Amino acid sequence: MNCEVCQLKELVVEPFEIREVLRCILHTIVFHRALGLVRPKDVDSELFEITYVQCGDVELEKKIEEKIDQFAGWVDKHPNRKSQVCLSFYEVKSKQPTWFSNKTERLHWEQWYVNLHVINPKAHGKFRHTKAAVDHGENSLEERSSRRAVLEASLREVLFQIIKFVNEKKDHIPQVSNSEVISFPYEITIPSSSDSSFGWHTDVFKRMLQTGHPTMLS
Amino acid sequence: MGSSSCNLFSEPAIIEQVITEFFTKSVHIILETRSPYVSSRNYSGEQFISSPSPSSSSSSSSVRPRDKWFNLALGDCPAALENFDLWRQSNLEPVVIDVILTRRPSHHHDVLHSPNSARDQFSNWTSGQDEFVQDSKSEKIVERWIIQYENRNSGNATKESCSGAKKGSSANCQSSEMSAMYKKTYKKSIIMLRSLYTMVRLLPSYKVFRDLNSSGQIHPLSLSHRISSFAVPFTREEDAEMNQFGFTPVDTPGGRLSLSVSYLMKLDDVSSETSTPLSTQFIPDYVGSPTIDPLKRFHSLPSSLPAYASFSRRHSWSTDHGTTPSVSQSPSPTYSNACVFRANPNSRIPSRNRLCDNSPSACSVPNNASMVHRKDTSFDEYWPSGPSPPFSPSTSPCPPTHVSSDHPQNALFRTESAPVNIPLPRIGKNSLLNQGLPPSPSKVKGLKQGSAPRADVKTHISTSSTSHMSSPESKLQARKELTKIGDFHTGMTLQKALSFGKDETGNLPGLKLSSCTSPRIPFSRSSSRLSFLDEFDDSDFACPFAVDVEDIGDSCNRIEPLDKQGQTSENLESTGLLTVRKSQDAAVSALVRMLKNAPPLHQEICEPLSSQVIRDETGNSSIEQNSCDTEVVAANPSSAASVAGMTTSGFIRSRTAADAFEELRGFKAMREQLVRQASPQIPDSTGGGS
Repeated sequence: MNCEVCQLKELVVEPFEIREVLRCILHTIVFHRALGLVRPKDVDSELFEITYVQCGDVELEKKIEEKIDQFAGWVDKHPNRKSQVCLSFYEVKSKQPTWFSNKTERLHWEQWYVNLHVINPKAHGKFRHTKAAVDHGENSLEERSSRRAVLEASLREVLFQIIKFVNEKKDHIPQVSNSEVISFPYEITIPSSSDSSFGWHTDVFKRMLQTGHPTMLS
Repeated sequence: MGSSSCNLFSEPAIIEQVITEFFTKSVHIILETRSPYVSSRNYSGEQFISSPSPSSSSSSSSVRPRDKWFNLALGDCPAALENFDLWRQSNLEPVVIDVILTRRPSHHHDVLHSPNSARDQFSNWTSGQDEFVQDSKSEKIVERWIIQYENRNSGNATKESCSGAKKGSSANCQSSEMSAMYKKTYKKSIIMLRSLYTMVRLLPSYKVFRDLNSSGQIHPLSLSHRISSFAVPFTREEDAEMNQFGFTPVDTPGGRLSLSVSYLMKLDDVSSETSTPLSTQFIPDYVGSPTIDPLKRFHSLPSSLPAYASFSRRHSWSTDHGTTPSVSQSPSPTYSNACVFRANPNSRIPSRNRLCDNSPSACSVPNNASMVHRKDTSFDEYWPSGPSPPFSPSTSPCPPTHVSSDHPQNALFRTESAPVNIPLPRIGKNSLLNQGLPPSPSKVKGLKQGSAPRADVKTHISTSSTSHMSSPESKLQARKELTKIGDFHTGMTLQKALSFGKDETGNLPGLKLSSCTSPRIPFSRSSSRLSFLDEFDDSDFACPFAVDVEDIGDSCNRIEPLDKQGQTSENLESTGLLTVRKSQDAAVSALVRMLKNAPPLHQEICEPLSSQVIRDETGNSSIEQNSCDTEVVAANPSSAASVAGMTTSGFIRSRTAADAFEELRGFKAMREQLVRQASPQIPDSTGGGS
């Protein structure tokens, strides 16, 4: 099965923006893959002038929040870094019966990579300005708001990118076999604490999952 | 389009339906976030009052069949969409939705126009032209959505249509393939609509829409839209400004569905303006608002009159309506109507309007209105013959007078503006407070004054909703005729009136008391109404509600014997009331005429009579009566001007003949009983309760 991969445009975010950004993106993606009867819920982003759509599925919401928390925790420990959050959809196929029990296999058919460049605004400012900290404080407000506007525009772009992708790639979507709101199993993966770089791959996580890697929550 | 019908056969019926629903859903999604006041955002669970169509307005909260299409449950159908199905002729016609951002110099324009958008759109649908005529104003098309179905193989159309015709043989072998195709198409269109749903919220217009909907202020901007079947080309300039986004078309077995949008990325120049504070245009809303002090409302009356004419407040009111926390509220339009009916004895006309607006059956507004009127009128005549004496008595006229002097206007406003069940508690308090007050001359004056505007409104409304009957003479004549007719047709009209009342009350037996919004109601409830109820319970007197206040008042005042009804009405004519009533009479007569031809509007509501129903009706009657009494006190001594607004026209609506007949029989019996009772002593509406 072919697995469509969408690399979303990288967003430069400050740590406190991570949550809203991820909410926007993840919910928007899932909304397009929730093919069950949905009563959409419009959510106005708290940080941005953006309204995104949720499926109104409590479990999904919970899971996304949980993952976002984890990611925020990871970012705390690994500041100023580029990182990825991956949302992937898969089908569950039972493996051929082998000697190690009747395990199931996750066949991913779509993966969304949310690319975030988390910056520490102060460090960022120092990088550009060699001025004293006081001066920097004066500038930061202005700088922040303009940066916020840029981020908002970029985020909007990413959402457009999702819409485009969703429109262009439809043939790989497996048949809907249930009537649930969230039609397909999905997983959200974040860089694990053992990853020193962002060059990880979901296959790694898959393997880790199967081997019960301590840091991975399913 | 000659080949179009042929082409349609090239898609299997089920796909055809998917395509049709796709159009509908798309339009729904778009309008939901572009047509202010009808969005799911502030959708409150109530029907859209503005909707002229009875179809979907009542079934708001539950999952409707259409929600299941594409597994996307949307808010209630925008009013404009209700006509959509009718408007669309063929799936081969594209649907072009232009979203127009308008900046108006005057708010007036906005207020008057937005509520009628549904109708505007409808007319646009049919014409689809003259789009840019108004471009010279500050209108700008900010988005253009084009939904289109393209038939891929028009050359094969004939062949395929033939195969479609002989379904029986060929369909079987194709069915499995077909169903696979269908599933694929359907799934893809689901996704497409999901992305459309997301998209409409990402485009800049959405922000404008949100601002418009969320703020209680008048915005210098407004959003409107036109739906047509072809796109008037943009000018080169416009085209250059526009961004394009094409959703990837969904292939169907015989063609493809495509959806695209051209949009202005920058609305900044227009949208960034600060919104202005409320203008006088909105005052009517507040005037009518139950939360406002009655006196205040009264003061602002004159300025609000123009707004009524245009029904401009319907929308805003409907929103309010939905959000009103009142327990008594019911989603059923009927209910609210009934409420109005009972609650605003003074404001019959408005209530009529309300009926039209609100009720699912109100699609034919004129009919509805006329019916109401007619019944009313005829009932006028009838009434005197009935148990009028019970009403006439002293019935603490003071409080009512006071109330009426203050509230007729309110009632008007309410009715006109808002099919709203006005929150009772507060009003109730007011009226109760008022109760103890003596009928001061000044109040009487106020009543008179109040009545004049009311009469105007009434006339106006009737004119707008039905036919013209503006000349005083004609009105007068009509009235007289009506009177005569009334005598002859008492039975029939009575039936109607009865049935009407029955249905109304039948739907909301227990609710009535709490639901009544008019200041008057609580009053009557507390004082006379209950007693009346009792009294009439004994006799099972059922249908006083239809009584015209004037007549009642008249009879009441004079304490006429029961059987003098004919005289009473004539007396009325001869008294000063006559002049005052002219305009109303004219309206009434016009309505009556229309009514004659009108079929029953509320058939679905017809339910078996219950004792409770009768009770309610009685309650109604008492209310009316109350108001009548009040008015009588005020009006008779002075000029009859005060009575002008009082004609009870608005409430009655037709039921099935059977219902009416049944009730009529009961009524007759009751009446006899009453007559017997009444002769020894005239029952008092307030204290007379047994």
